[in-house]
Order: sequence, then structure tokens, then C-alpha cells
Amino acid sequence: MPRIDAPSFRPGELEVHEDGSGNLVGSRCSSCGAHFFPVRDACSGCLSTDLETIGFSTTGILYTYSVVRQSTPEFEVPYILGYVDFPEKVRIMGQIRADLDYLSIGMPMVLELEPFGEDDDGNPLTGYRFVPQESTDD
Amino acid sequence: MTDVHVVGVGMTRFGKHPDADSTDLGAQALLEAVADAGIDPRLIEAAYCGHVFQGMVTGQRVLAQVGLAGLPLTNVENACSSGATAIREASFAVRAGEYDVVVAVGTEHLTSQFRGALTPDPSDPEAAVGATMPSVYAMRARRYMHEFGMTREQLALIPVKNKNNAALNPLAHFRTRITVEDVLESRPVADPLRLHDCSPVTDGAAAVILMSDKAKKRFCDTRAVRLAASTLRSGSVDVEPTSMTFEPLTRLTAQDAYERAGIGPEDVDFCEVHDCFSIAEVLRVEGLGLFGQGEYPAAVQRGEADLGGRLPVNPSGGLLGKGHPLGGTGVAQVVELVRQLRGEAGNRQIEGAKVGLAHCRGGKAVGIEGAACTVQVLTR
Ligand SMILES: [Zn+2]
Repeated sequence: MPRIDAPSFRPGELEVHEDGSGNLVGSRCSSCGAHFFPVRDACSGCLSTDLETIGFSTTGILYTYSVVRQSTPEFEVPYILGYVDFPEKVRIMGQIRADLDYLSIGMPMVLELEPFGEDDDGNPLTGYRFVPQESTDD
Repeated sequence: MTDVHVVGVGMTRFGKHPDADSTDLGAQALLEAVADAGIDPRLIEAAYCGHVFQGMVTGQRVLAQVGLAGLPLTNVENACSSGATAIREASFAVRAGEYDVVVAVGTEHLTSQFRGALTPDPSDPEAAVGATMPSVYAMRARRYMHEFGMTREQLALIPVKNKNNAALNPLAHFRTRITVEDVLESRPVADPLRLHDCSPVTDGAAAVILMSDKAKKRFCDTRAVRLAASTLRSGSVDVEPTSMTFEPLTRLTAQDAYERAGIGPEDVDFCEVHDCFSIAEVLRVEGLGLFGQGEYPAAVQRGEADLGGRLPVNPSGGLLGKGHPLGGTGVAQVVELVRQLRGEAGNRQIEGAKVGLAHCRGGKAVGIEGAACTVQVLTR
């Protein structure tokens, strides 16, 4: 995967590592172990405020998806949008890069860093997309 | 504690109003509600106004337009539940004994504020990756089809039913009957949803006048309808992912309402539910406990939700057919309930209806099942 040096499109939500890999960031409750995305100040399960910020796994299961054909001017259509369930028991939405014919509910997906939009000055930003796991095995 | 009664209702035509704004529309609905109640407007002691994108002090502008400036006025924003939340706040003021006569208005001039797909607030992480409201419901539709085997044709029967009801409603945005083929051939918006699966961008306003027992007896006894429950909840943050084909938020808000009204779902004769998208109607009525989970699409196919069916759903045309002016929507649902319960619903009248339920639900924020949900029960 190409090294991406551009700043993250959502600071604090996406961690970008030196080797070009990355992961989403959220909270883990130190009292009951529940996980949340994005970072929260208190746990909705037990109301503890003792939460640590952690990086999530990068593989999960596709819960559902759609091809978006009408959107706001910032987004070029069509694009695929989906929800992926991660092992930490969080469900996170993201765009999907895949051949639609091979996409199906329940398939393993991997988070990959990709260029994603621009900042106000037109500089490229780093974001994430989900891709089917099999297409990343080479 | 006093009961709360709806004694007057008013509603503009829903649709595109290029020559009016949210103030004009709200004023028209309010004046009509006063006329419908047949009261001196000076009896009104307080006002509540629901709207979403209409800016500061919209309610005060409406009051100024109709000569009622000066009343205590509360503007209410709660996404698509704004109008319903305004009714709830108004009902509390009466129930608490503070006022005997109050008005709740919902108004929205959406065509001047919005084009295309509604999105979550731009600060939301899901908005940042391109979430739109149609795409979120499209994903729920795909999951529902996966879990319960609903077909695309079955889903199309919902906009067909609601737009055919709207064709009977002189105030509806859409007045043309459609077929399943029309739905399936309409422009794709977010797979599997197409244009006819989505509620339109609508301008419109509605208003209701509420009274205490005492005021009702004195001024408006004969056509009053009792507001038996008006409940509100906001969605909780999931501690772990839950099914997107079931709505705990709708279920909990409904349970509060059934308990408050002293009824169960089996007592509901008809309902207006928040069908912002075709799939939404499925999720709503199942969440409300009116149909079993996974069973609604087949029930629609059997005609159970039709005007003449076992439990008519969205006789007004719903959001899909009547239109969806965000702040106006929840109030307009109550207008329909009142007209049905009074027997004044014209050629879409449901015979013998005694208990009507209205459900609104709106807003989206990351990690939260749904933002704001209301249920109102009206009885005759
Ligand atoms: Zn906890």
C-alpha cells in the first residue's frame, strides 16, 4: 500500500501510522469493557467516566451496504456506503471500494487508508475505505 | 389533573409554495385552527412552534402575523419530531394547570432551504464519509430484505398505498395514483431505494388548539378529541451493535404512550407513522407493536394496511404522499387523527375509528439508534 503522508480527514478519529497503515480510534470503558466510536466522555453502559482511547481492529464483517446515487456536492456519486461490525463490538460506517457484484452481507472487510477529500486550502487528506478481505490477500 | 383535548385543527396545502414563507404558512394554519375551534383568538394563552431550518424566532413571526404577538412562545427544534414535540410541550402546560387554551404550530418552508438528500449534521463522523438519510434507510432496507426475505416489489406496495391515499387528500403534496411499476422505474437514489420510496421536499404548516377539561366544556365541547398520550424519547448510544431492522426507540416511546393512554397496540384503529422512506413505515409499525416483526410487508400485500383494511396505516398519504415539511409533519399527523376521529375525513374516512396513533421519529447522530421519537394517542 502506498505511504500516505497527508493529514487525517478527521483528526482524532483516524490514526495514521508511519508504515502507512491506520485504524479508527474510539473509547474503551475501563469498568465494563464496552467500546464506543467515536471517543466518548462517559460509558453509556455503566456511566463510568474512566474511558481509555484505543485503536480498533482493522478487519470486520459487512453488516449492510448501499450504492449512493444522490448526495451532497462534496461527494461524487455513485459510491458504496456500508456498516462494518468490528470485533470490539462497534459498528462503523464507511465508504467501500469493491466490485459490487462480489459484495455481500456477512463478508469480511478490511480498513485501508486512502486519499479522501481535501481541506479548505485544497490539500489532500487521508481517510479510510473498507475493502473485501479476499481482494487484499496477494 | 386535567385531560388535554384537541379542539381545533388547521393545515395548509402541503407542496411547493414559492410565493410564501414559513411565517405565512404557519399563520395560515393557525388562523384555520382558530376558525375550526370557533373560538375568540384572545382566549389563547401560550404558543409553541416546531420548525427545523427556519431560523431564529420563527414562532414569534407567526404570532406577529396573526395579531397574537406578546404571548409566551417557545420555539422547538427536535428534527422531524419538532412539531410533535411542540404539541407535547403545549399539552404539559395545560396538564400542569398553567394555561387552559394553548396553540401548537409546526411550519417549514423546506424548498427554499434544501435540495436533494437530507444529511446528518456536518460535524457528524458519518456525514464525513458521505452518509445521507436515504442511504441510511437504504442500508436498513437491504438488511431487512436479507433477514426477512422481503422482495423489492413488496416494498414498492408501501409508496403505492400511501400515494393512492394522498390522491384522496386535497391537501397532499402528491395527488396522482401510482403503480408498483412506477416505483420500480423511478430514479435510483440509494440502492435499493428509488425516488418513489423517498418522501419529498415539501413546504407546509399545521396547527392545533389544545384545551383543558374546563375550557373545553365551556367553549368547544362537541367536536373535541382527547389527547390521551404524548410521549417523547431520544435514542440511546448502543453499547454493542443492535439490529437495524428493529427500533427499540420506537418500541419504548410507544410503550410509554400505551401505558399513559391505558391501551395496548391491539386497541389502535388506525395510525399515521413516520414513513420518511418506504422501509421506514415497515420499521415503525413493527416497532410500535402493531404488526409482528418481519410480518408487515406480507400484511400490506394482503391489504391489511389499506384504508378499508384491518389497521389503516397513513390514511392521509403519510410523508411519502402528503409530504414532509419537517416541522409541520408531526402536527399534521395529529390534524389527520382529529379529522378521522371526528368523521370529517371525506372520502378517505375510516368508519368507526375511536383510537388513532401518530408516530414521528427523526434525526441521525453517530452511534445513536435514532435522535428524537414521539408517539401521540388520540381517542374519541
Ligand atoms: Zn462501562
